Amino acid sequence: MIKTSNVTKIFTGRGQIVRAVDGVSAEVAAGEVVVIIGPSGSGKSTFLRCLNGLEQFDEGHIVIDGVDLADKKTDINKVRREVGMVFQQFNLFPHKTVLDNITLAQKIVRKRDRDEAQQKARQLLQKVGIAEKEAEYPSRLSGGQQQRVAIARALAMDPKIMLFDEPTSALDPEMVGEVLDVMKQLAREGMTMVVVTHEMGFAREVADRVIFMDQGKLVEEGTPEHFFTEPKEERAKTFLKQVL
Amino acid sequence: MTGSQSIWPWKLLLAAILIVMAAGTWGAVNRIDYTWRWNRVPDYFLYKSEESRKIPFDGWVEKIISVGSTSTVSLVSESGEKVTVKVATNTVRVSESEDLFEGDTIGFVKEWRLGPLTTGLWTTLWLSAGASVLALIIGLLTGLARISRNYTLRGLAALYVEFIRGTPLLVQIFIAYFFIGTVFDLSRNAAGIGALAIFAGAYVAEIVRAGIQSIPKGQMEAARSLGMNLFQAMVYIILPQSFKRILPPLSGQFISLIKDSSLVSVIAITDLTKSGREIITSTFATFEIWLTIAAMYLIVTSILSQLVFYLERRLAASD
Repeated sequence: MIKTSNVTKIFTGRGQIVRAVDGVSAEVAAGEVVVIIGPSGSGKSTFLRCLNGLEQFDEGHIVIDGVDLADKKTDINKVRREVGMVFQQFNLFPHKTVLDNITLAQKIVRKRDRDEAQQKARQLLQKVGIAEKEAEYPSRLSGGQQQRVAIARALAMDPKIMLFDEPTSALDPEMVGEVLDVMKQLAREGMTMVVVTHEMGFAREVADRVIFMDQGKLVEEGTPEHFFTEPKEERAKTFLKQVL
Repeated sequence: MTGSQSIWPWKLLLAAILIVMAAGTWGAVNRIDYTWRWNRVPDYFLYKSEESRKIPFDGWVEKIISVGSTSTVSLVSESGEKVTVKVATNTVRVSESEDLFEGDTIGFVKEWRLGPLTTGLWTTLWLSAGASVLALIIGLLTGLARISRNYTLRGLAALYVEFIRGTPLLVQIFIAYFFIGTVFDLSRNAAGIGALAIFAGAYVAEIVRAGIQSIPKGQMEAARSLGMNLFQAMVYIILPQSFKRILPPLSGQFISLIKDSSLVSVIAITDLTKSGREIITSTFATFEIWLTIAAMYLIVTSILSQLVFYLERRLAASD
């Protein structure tokens, strides 16, 4: 489903050159849940953002469902329809109600009519457990509720892949659970997911595979059992000691 | 210090200061020799004009039928031609079967006419409205060009804004009328509206640019990640949110535009200010007219700011 080879992203600024993503090659199969972990500044978010073209990478190839993002002829908007993204800061549209947040892109990108889009939106709101909030504006929702709306908004496009960029990092601790529950349900339903997170419990429970990144490089990857119990690399060991 | 201080002593002080200022002005004006003629001012808004009606041929009056305040006078010429004329009853100057020569006055018609202050205000209003719409379009396009990724577009927009903000509006109006207007054969109204629109457009562009840049980057990223293209994301996500933020500075700009429109009187457009000057040259009622005109500008701008205030409150629904 996703195949990246030697992806490199270089930031230049104030005379410094930072290789934020440094030659990352990875694969994600259809239906697989891959969790990317690593210390802050390790390039995991940047790598994730490369996967739907929010960051342009400088070298390498990213092939999503057979389409190469490095190819200049690729219509990135078409790829993005198939790749949903959930952000750390939710990024709901504050001037639209919950329902409009979910129907807008369906209408203008997927060209669905109003009734169909609303039906889909209500069904998804039901699924994430906030059907009663459809007429509210995002500012009246709690962080956890906003993030669940954001997930519903991404799912409304019927994506083949869902990307999560630290979806619980901006939440109050008591709201983390409700968002993780929705994500676990998605994983059970067979959605292909790439998740950047600091929730080690989630990684251990839900992930099919864990990727550990540090300083832009893919340091280690493996099943959760392997990674959390007997990591090979020294840096992964140090990291786990600090977070667990 | 307690949190709940009573406000009425300060209200009293405010009222006292205003009364002292008014009394001072009154006293100062009384010391100079000036005859106030406020009673003449309403005539410059709306007045009743008397127009004479004349007989178009040599002939005689057949009959006069008076119904209420209007009288219908039937006239017959020497060759048998008939004409009826309506005039006000109390101004009829002829009697039945009287002989008349061509051009004799039969009576007068009284009609309400708009005075120069009203027509001047109307000119100011449509001039400002036209310039505002154009300025909004120019400003929106320039504002978007300012944040474009294309170097040439960015450069052009920056040059335009710099040039307009760095030169006086009065000079721009002269250039628009005497230079550009002559080259392209523009009417004075077109030159006036154009100059105002281009002037305000530069400021609107900066307001629009700041408004767009004030929207968090995440909004654009969220829109794009849902598959919207740049145009869709701008139209549906970024611009509606920016609009709410730029409404207060934008309305300030349009209020400035209404006031600045008084400058077009220098190219002989008869707006409110020019009307005032014309009235003063014939009446010497300098004090009354300028005070009235100031009050009229104030009323127009206050109404506009109240409208914007109302609109802002409505748009605040999602906050």
